[in-house]
Amino acid sequence: MSEKTENLVKVTIDGKEILAPGKLSTIQALWHAGYPRVKSVGCLEGVCGSCRIMARRAGSTEVTMELGCQTLIEEGMEVSFLVFPTPSHHTYELGEIRNSWEVQAHFSRIFPEADHCRNCHGCTVSCPKGIQVERGVELAVKGRFREAGELFVECVMCNFCMTACPEFIAPNHVGIFARRVTAYFHIRPSNLINRLEKLRRGELQIRDQ
Amino acid sequence: MAMQGIPYSEALRNYSVKTFREPAGEVQEPEQLLRSFHPDYYPGTTVTLRVGVNRGDACHHQLAEVLQADARIDEADLAGAAIRETDVLVIGGGGAGCAAALVAARAGARVILTTKLRLGDSNTVMAEGGIQASIEKDDTPQMHLDDTLRAGHYRSDRRLVARMVADGPDVIRWLIQQGMQFDLDKYGDILLRRAGGTSANRVAYYRDYTGLEMMRVLRESVTNSNIEVLDYSPAVELLSNEEGHCGGAVISSLKDYSYTLVKAKAVIVATGGIGRMHINGFPTSNHFGATGDGLVLAYRLGAGLRDLDSFQYHPSGLTWPQHLAGTLITEGVRSAGAYILNGQGERFVDELETRDLVSSAILRECAEGRGVEVGDDIRGVWLDTPGLELRNPGTLAARFPKLIQLGKRSGIDLYHQPLLIYPTLHYQNGGVVIDENGCSSVPRLYCVGEVSGGIHGKNRIMGNSLLEIISFGRRAGAHAAEKSHRRGHKKVSIEHVSNLRRELTLAEMPMEKQGPALFPECAKFENDSDYDGLRRNRKGRP
Repeated sequence: MSEKTENLVKVTIDGKEILAPGKLSTIQALWHAGYPRVKSVGCLEGVCGSCRIMARRAGSTEVTMELGCQTLIEEGMEVSFLVFPTPSHHTYELGEIRNSWEVQAHFSRIFPEADHCRNCHGCTVSCPKGIQVERGVELAVKGRFREAGELFVECVMCNFCMTACPEFIAPNHVGIFARRVTAYFHIRPSNLINRLEKLRRGELQIRDQ
Repeated sequence: MAMQGIPYSEALRNYSVKTFREPAGEVQEPEQLLRSFHPDYYPGTTVTLRVGVNRGDACHHQLAEVLQADARIDEADLAGAAIRETDVLVIGGGGAGCAAALVAARAGARVILTTKLRLGDSNTVMAEGGIQASIEKDDTPQMHLDDTLRAGHYRSDRRLVARMVADGPDVIRWLIQQGMQFDLDKYGDILLRRAGGTSANRVAYYRDYTGLEMMRVLRESVTNSNIEVLDYSPAVELLSNEEGHCGGAVISSLKDYSYTLVKAKAVIVATGGIGRMHINGFPTSNHFGATGDGLVLAYRLGAGLRDLDSFQYHPSGLTWPQHLAGTLITEGVRSAGAYILNGQGERFVDELETRDLVSSAILRECAEGRGVEVGDDIRGVWLDTPGLELRNPGTLAARFPKLIQLGKRSGIDLYHQPLLIYPTLHYQNGGVVIDENGCSSVPRLYCVGEVSGGIHGKNRIMGNSLLEIISFGRRAGAHAAEKSHRRGHKKVSIEHVSNLRRELTLAEMPMEKQGPALFPECAKFENDSDYDGLRRNRKGRP
């Protein structure tokens, strides 16, 4: 009994004071305390980017952007959920880019703000996955899409970097664009192509029963 | 009652990293192992359905409860509701729903995609292991078919499996064309790993983020198309026309707490499975939204279901620390060569047997006292990550970044200490009966992905679900778009709900519970006063 009480942690989540075991995430803590929570809950494994929170720890003035399911509660922590992410205002179809020589031109058209980056580091600082977001944008502007895309392997599209960017760059969408054009223009696996060709020729039929 | 296992600290003291450990050999009497230890065979888990098309069929009792629940709405709720029209309505924003919507929209149909939470909130985004496609030169679609049927204990719909395996390579091409990356070798060929219970290396992957990579690409494709996406908008009922055909759905909005009737010429249900119902009390690897909504909606409209007593328990769910219980560790780790060890440090099953057998063997070790015991009711076996790294240095970092993150969050150094695993509820093997275009037995109602049944029989192999969602998502999207060309909208209603209530009353069934569930109980949606607007007529019910 006393052991259990000792492990309890007091936090404030969306203005509600909550007492819950310290090993719980912010979402689990809300549920533990009996509060409903539906919005901003997703995979609970840190890959869907839904449970966006702002957190401030006791004795600190710094506000951090984190994923609620990945953040364990700490004594004196204050948490706010950010429910609705802003959609990107950029729009494009990969099919419009006729060949890989034109990718950079299309990129400048689709993401005209990308080369306005003022190196404020807001995107990089806000990334809960520790991605070098600003560097990724810089590489994409230079046309180094494969390299830029590699930086976004862990991106869960939580959109924090978009919220943080004063130039409305939508850095996560830049990252995904970089990854997508790399696949679209440069992934040509001979083992797959060979198999498709065999199927096209009607080889490899499946037996009836 | 299960025997006491070996205490965690003692088992850890006895553990040492070794290059070689004696293999376990083949499973003797697999049928017996399943019957004794697989949760599908726990006594008292199934009941007989008393209402609906599948009346008389066996069904897991937790699923039966929602299938035979009352509706959330009646006619009065719809008074004054906005009415929208579209050609194709897709319900569900995971991989299957996005694939269906994209293909339908590109074929010229007007498409609305409605999703309970955000677009991409799904089990797809959490998938790790990869996607099956027979690409290797020694592999064939026929072998893929044979493996799928065998692993499913020959209870699959052969025709569906034949279509899916034949689609495999083209599905990979389609995904690359949407901008999805795969792990490649130095010549640019797709790398393939082997799934448990299969005869060839057939699983294409991107690290252990295959689903994340797939989902963020599909989400980006959808948001950059003319598909209209309604997020935070769970469907609570389908609409039927006078002939009993599907004619759209009633969508509730968690943003403005109102209902909208979306009339559609075809409806594609892609709502996923039911892991968050915690069948048999197991932890789950599933997404928060996996509450079986589509099964309930389709069943009420008269769609036939199958294999409602068959679920997949993935062998490697993390079981300690407790707050992460149920979190998935991809089968890819075993495919790369990791062993599973009991508390005595012995291998006890071929790690690449089918999932139902590996899980049953783990449950056997725990039940017979050879498991590792952390505390009351928490037990498991070791996933030997240090051994894997010793035999194949660099594998963990190169192939399993998500697992490394999980290790960090667990406070366990997986380079030196094995992880404690226990089966986690992973997949609904059965679902809505469909044909090769994803059509259910109700005209104009399509069901694709985990909500559908028939492909995996009684047990699914790794990578077939990601293949299924794209293969059948595309099939349903194309078929629905084509058919909706020549149709008009008809008068629609929720008349079938009255029939349901009549049947429930006649069968003397309780009517307290309402479905679809929409959210797991832990989230307390039903008590959330934010959503009172969606319940205003509930009190006046008989």
